[in-house]
Amino acid sequence: MTAQLLELLSHPLGQMITALAAIMVFMAVNGMALQYAERKVAGFIQRRPGPYEVGPHGLLQPFADAGKLISKQLVAPLGADRLLFWIAPLVSVAPVVVCFLPIPFSPLLTGMNINLGLLLILAFSGLNTLALCLAGWGSNNKYSLLGAARAVAQSVAYEIPLLLSVLAVAFQVGSLDLAAIAASQTQGLLSWNVLVQPLAFIIFFISGIAETNRAPFDLPEAESELTAGFHTEYSGMCFGIFFLAEYSYMVVVCAVATALFLGGWDGPVFPGPWWFLAKTFALIFAMMWFRWTFPRVRFDQLLNICWKWLIPLGLANLVATAAIVKWVQ
Amino acid sequence: MEQLAHAAYGLYLVLILAGAWAAVRCRNLVRALLGLIMTLFGVAGMYFLMAAPFMALMQILIYVGAVSVLIFFAIMLTRTPGGEAGEEGGGARPAVRTVLALLSGLLPAAILAAVILTKAPQSLPLKPELPLGRLGQFLTGPYVLAFELISVVLLAAMAGAVVLGFERRKSA
Repeated sequence: MTAQLLELLSHPLGQMITALAAIMVFMAVNGMALQYAERKVAGFIQRRPGPYEVGPHGLLQPFADAGKLISKQLVAPLGADRLLFWIAPLVSVAPVVVCFLPIPFSPLLTGMNINLGLLLILAFSGLNTLALCLAGWGSNNKYSLLGAARAVAQSVAYEIPLLLSVLAVAFQVGSLDLAAIAASQTQGLLSWNVLVQPLAFIIFFISGIAETNRAPFDLPEAESELTAGFHTEYSGMCFGIFFLAEYSYMVVVCAVATALFLGGWDGPVFPGPWWFLAKTFALIFAMMWFRWTFPRVRFDQLLNICWKWLIPLGLANLVATAAIVKWVQ
Repeated sequence: MEQLAHAAYGLYLVLILAGAWAAVRCRNLVRALLGLIMTLFGVAGMYFLMAAPFMALMQILIYVGAVSVLIFFAIMLTRTPGGEAGEEGGGARPAVRTVLALLSGLLPAAILAAVILTKAPQSLPLKPELPLGRLGQFLTGPYVLAFELISVVLLAAMAGAVVLGFERRKSA
């Protein structure tokens, strides 16, 4: 029985299904943990306790919220395009599961070893824009539609510096395999790409925040301007799924940043997946910190940052990297 | 493994055909776009089956992630959501349109099927995956002229868009 089970698990397909199931569990737990963490961080930054009533230090708050979201009625607005309205949350959350597959938490703990892992993540994370568009269009609501329009302009613009910064690292290592890129940085702190390519790291992180629609770049859902942007009309677990997708995308962006720039699973003592997770969640903490520190940018400012700063800097960085790589050869 | 490949082939085929049907038949433009995206995904799956994962991922990154979002933007800028404004009315009657659509779909299919049925190729063993470096060498070596010509076309399109934008601004 055990032998059969092991054989089934060692089959590539069995391996992939196991990895996908594990990823979904991780996403659910992560969503609850991060929303608690975000409210606590927000609370401490704004000098208030945050959730405190449910359980010790409000620890049971995420469970209460999850229960509420699951049990609420799902309502589709009158005149909405039902098919698009219901399909949008699914389009939003499904690609994230795939995005987790090639992330190398450690040389052993990788969902799937593929030599184009980085490209796979970039390809599937682009689907989120589409989901926001469908949600905005299907809702039959002007705020939703405005949110979708903003989401398109923003993510199309910020995808370019993101790709440029990732390409610089790929040029330097000569691989699109996340595990290979992380393994190239295991010779001590000085080999970490954040020190070799500091500009690329800054560009990547800023673009990553914009791509995940986090404040100060949360214009598609700016609550003071658009009520809730693209998810204005979503209630209950449909909103919950968008929320889950957003937090999972945060983890994907930070995990990719860890693998590309922060040495992956490498650490001063006992290298392993715990270092990878520690670095990832430290970056997520920085994202939350940004959110409660910086005011939201205006839309023209958002596009100016991208087109006038990040893209020229990213291009210059890429050209310089290519020249140095060629020269060293 | 081979049965798995057959099953995947069937799945992608259904995705491509169903998506194409939706893209042609849906009166709502956004739903038609969704059909197109389904087809593009099916094509990406076919690339995977042919051991060309780079092509497959590029297909998803560029066509699904960028081009279809661009099409969506175009729909959004030219129409209001909901109601009949989001729908496309054709010039011809529905019956005529169905016949025309079937004709334009079945004719190439019939020609291709005739070629395949009369000169059925042996099923080839899967070629090994081409490393990315070789792909780049091909693009900058033997195929450099085609590669550069395509980029000139893109440049022309971009310049055209800029010129149109400037003219619009002058007249406004």
